[in-house]
Amino acid sequence: MTTVRMPPPLPTRLRTQIPSGGLSPMLSRLAAERATGVLMREGGMLYLSDGQVMYAESPATPGLDVLLIARGALDEDGWREAVAQAGARRLVGRFLVDSGRISQGALELCHLGALYDAAYFVLGPSSAPARFRYGEPHWLGPVRPVPVTAVERETVRRRELLHGIWPDPAADEAPLVRADRPPGATVAPRQEAVLARIDGVSTATDISRVLGRPAFHTLVDVRRLAAAGFVTPRAAEPDPAGPAPGSPTPVPVEEFPLFTDPHITLLKRLRDALEAL
Amino acid sequence: MANTETALKEALASIEGATGVALVDYTSGMALGTMGGSKSFDLTVAAAGNTDVVRSKLRTMEHLGLKGQIEDILITLSDQYHLIRLISGRGGNGLFLYLVLDAKRANLAMARHQLKKIEEDLEV
Repeated sequence: MTTVRMPPPLPTRLRTQIPSGGLSPMLSRLAAERATGVLMREGGMLYLSDGQVMYAESPATPGLDVLLIARGALDEDGWREAVAQAGARRLVGRFLVDSGRISQGALELCHLGALYDAAYFVLGPSSAPARFRYGEPHWLGPVRPVPVTAVERETVRRRELLHGIWPDPAADEAPLVRADRPPGATVAPRQEAVLARIDGVSTATDISRVLGRPAFHTLVDVRRLAAAGFVTPRAAEPDPAGPAPGSPTPVPVEEFPLFTDPHITLLKRLRDALEAL
Repeated sequence: MANTETALKEALASIEGATGVALVDYTSGMALGTMGGSKSFDLTVAAAGNTDVVRSKLRTMEHLGLKGQIEDILITLSDQYHLIRLISGRGGNGLFLYLVLDAKRANLAMARHQLKKIEEDLEV
């Protein structure tokens, strides 16, 4: 029997449904005015063109290059050359297809995968203000633009999916440790690959990069593994045994303070109002 | 390979009785492309729900120790057939095609054969 340490509730907004103003009121407004540029939020960046999402980037997710190379669709030299040749013209995607390095379909699928993956993290709950810089198309160029509403809908669906698998989000960001393998339990091959890389230091994001898989997919696997009792997030206190010799010193995880201040609701409303400006 | 839209369009146009088709990533349940469907039949909802079907079957096979690969899964309703075809190409890891057929007009054996051909075309 595994005991689950539930973290204190965090003062973030629970948005399992898209509020009338959209996941980010600013993003909805930019879509309505058909803006072109880059939206910068705490979790990463969304590139818009004519009010549609062209690409998304987040430090939490592997980029399109990592996914393409991991799938064997492209090699590193091919990617580097495409960026060197077409990066300045902001048409890297088209260059990859025109030069025969990759088919349009394979590029589209990987691009959509990377876009929705990063957008999930960009549109995650955040307490920092968002900024928008007009007029900067992404160097990848147009591959397959997606409407803002589709990105928001998918992001909300993904949140619900994760919540349905295992409601504790603690394993999403913390370094992961292996729990005692529950007797008789089996793990799918894709999850086995994730499990094999759990070393007490790596987070889900680190594992995605190593495996060349979208970060959200790793979160799904990690939550399934957590639900089955294979994995737990590492507690904030360093392990008494210490990290394995030779491995880098892990950065301690910040423990969230308990919020008991009754004014927190007022502050949250203020924040919402400011974000909606 | 064809681009995804062309491949899905071809599936809808060439397979007799096809009313909708989707290309789905089964870890996230996201439809990477859909074609057809209707107001009363939301393909993205069907895509997300059918990932559970695929996952359950894969799990059961593991428990049974079966080593074969799933080629396709067929679900028959009183008036529709739903055909799920797992994409096995080297990069297609984790994708499946989902095809909705009108039972009155469809030829199942033919549809299976054509869907296999479209999978080969996709070669993701």
